[in-house]
Amino acid sequence: MRIVLLGLAGSLFLAAAGPQTSGSGFRRDLQGIWEVRNTAAAGLEAHSADGGIRAGESVIVDPPDGKIPYQPWAAAKRLENFTSRAAADPLNKCYLPGVPRITYLPFPFQIFQTADFVAITYEYVHASRTVHMKNPRHLDDIDFWMGDSRGHWEGDTLVVDVADNEPSTWLDASGDFHSDKLHVVERYTRASPDTLLYEATIEDPKVYTRPWKISMPLYRHTEKNAQLFEYECHVYRENGAAFQK
Amino acid sequence: MSRLQGERRCFSEVSLFEVRSPMITPRARMLSICAAVCLTLAPAAFAQGQGRGRGRAQEPARPFTRLPDGKPDMQGYWETANFFTAFDLEAHEKAEYGIPAGKGVIVDPPDGKIPYQPWALAKKKDLMEHHLFEDPQAHCYLSGVPRQMYTPFGFQILQPPGSVVLLYEAFHSYRIIPLDNRPHIPDSIRLFEGDSRGHWEGDTLVVDVTNQNPGTWFDMAANFHSDVLHVVERFTMKDSATIAYEAVLDDSKVFTRPFKIAFNLVRNHAGDYEQMEYACVEGEKDLQHYTEGEGAKPKK
Amino acid sequence: MRRSLLFALFAAGLLLSAVPSFAHHSFAAEFDGNKPITIKGKVTEFEWVNPHSWVHIDVTDDKGNTVNWSCETAPPNILYRSGWRRDSLKPGDEVVIDGFVAKDGSHTMNARTVKTPDGKQFFAGSATDGAPATEKK
Repeated sequence: MRIVLLGLAGSLFLAAAGPQTSGSGFRRDLQGIWEVRNTAAAGLEAHSADGGIRAGESVIVDPPDGKIPYQPWAAAKRLENFTSRAAADPLNKCYLPGVPRITYLPFPFQIFQTADFVAITYEYVHASRTVHMKNPRHLDDIDFWMGDSRGHWEGDTLVVDVADNEPSTWLDASGDFHSDKLHVVERYTRASPDTLLYEATIEDPKVYTRPWKISMPLYRHTEKNAQLFEYECHVYRENGAAFQK
Repeated sequence: MSRLQGERRCFSEVSLFEVRSPMITPRARMLSICAAVCLTLAPAAFAQGQGRGRGRAQEPARPFTRLPDGKPDMQGYWETANFFTAFDLEAHEKAEYGIPAGKGVIVDPPDGKIPYQPWALAKKKDLMEHHLFEDPQAHCYLSGVPRQMYTPFGFQILQPPGSVVLLYEAFHSYRIIPLDNRPHIPDSIRLFEGDSRGHWEGDTLVVDVTNQNPGTWFDMAANFHSDVLHVVERFTMKDSATIAYEAVLDDSKVFTRPFKIAFNLVRNHAGDYEQMEYACVEGEKDLQHYTEGEGAKPKK
Repeated sequence: MRRSLLFALFAAGLLLSAVPSFAHHSFAAEFDGNKPITIKGKVTEFEWVNPHSWVHIDVTDDKGNTVNWSCETAPPNILYRSGWRRDSLKPGDEVVIDGFVAKDGSHTMNARTVKTPDGKQFFAGSATDGAPATEKK
């Protein structure tokens, strides 16, 4: 009887602790409100400070030189984007940022886990991604601004395969771009009680000479009763104010 | 009572034949609706074999299951049974201003009309007749509560620990409903989708919604509210395929008294249904065709 | 075989019932339910976008003047679940589109059905105001 009760208590604890699919309990728990503390949103590569933007080292860990391995034509296109970024950045029109840019914008997001899904809800333009944990097959013949995400666990790391990416998004505010062949594989690993390690391998055979990888910590929002608010970019753009009557 | 085996739901729901009362048995409702529409229209059938996210299948209603914590398991894909509500909360005997004829969802007051104060009724009429350009949803703004509940394309309910999360396909919007008894945010923070706080009363999820942006509408008929709108929703799971949804809307600046809407949420059983991205800002092209008659700015 | 049966069912269904479909905005604010129109022409572009996809077609009158019409359809999620793909319509395809004209006088319409020469008919269902309930074809 005691064993039964202990077992029941244990399973209830695991159920309460979060992800139903884990056998590892705590360490597969990615839930919470997270945000970066870097300026990768300004530029994935190393950059100097600018008005309102702190300097930053490259978040690219592979290749070791920290630079995006563009094909020659793409390097020229990137320069063109960079030069015209004030007008050309799709975020200027409040479009959905795509993956992985949404991760390192200076806005929080919240991760929820159930048995069959990991849901990531973002404060920035209420972007939302549902990571399908039970159905690994991407959709055919369609693309989404936030891509189509299919996930599985490798040990305590959530691996998210992101395909069907809309080609118009940029990877940062410096004009780093991709094509419709963009394929991103993200890895989320609980590194400590209040940090996640976020890694993403980015490949696009039309644009880059080889896959490359970024890595950065995500920090938990620990303020009491932390929650997401809204950042309704195009409301402000259209109305110049918060649209209240 | 169980639904007919293998019966298919209509793609474009059932506004013309909706039965208002949620007390109608599933079978009677389904027969009346589908006799009129489903037999002649086969969108669910045509979607078969065409890839994922197909028409909505029906299963016999079964008792609902519970999560390990004992709460009803409402997880899955849902949609409203009443399409018409997106057009108008109130009933329309005949079409006008682009609102098709259909039944309303207001159950209190009994006359089914929004109990506007006189100034507010005049404003609603003016908005509808001359300012449909101002419908915030037409601008790709978030719909607010309760409008998000009956904006079509359905939604997904997740019940992770400590929250209920609603993920809507329309505008990729979402609502996070914490269950931890935390207080509401201060009045000076306004959110289009409001600030939701949930708790269980038996098997009913009660959600208290405040802090809504006063610019949102309830429907395409320009039914509106002020910054003091307070909404209390109740989600009561009836069976594996049905949630009874009610919302009491209280706004002392606009209405003479609170009023209540009620309708059913029905589960989407289609085998491998998945929600898809429905963006709006990225490709909105309709507003440029609105004329001055609807309140658009004069064209040069 | 199955597909043409399904489309036939669709066409039949359309004759017998209005299908209020969804737009995120009022149909009547933009389109005139009293002005049904049927146009025939060649696809110049099929814009597979949210919140509405658009079929752009060149329509040539008997005097040889060509006008490009923009025909609004349901969004990709609805089209996709209905069997459409972004290459379902290609530039050069001949189509017949019926629907309702925009009120602002531009060559814009809200498409109800899109018919291709091989007899296939796509229900483009974007939004109606209920007025077509009794419309006969």
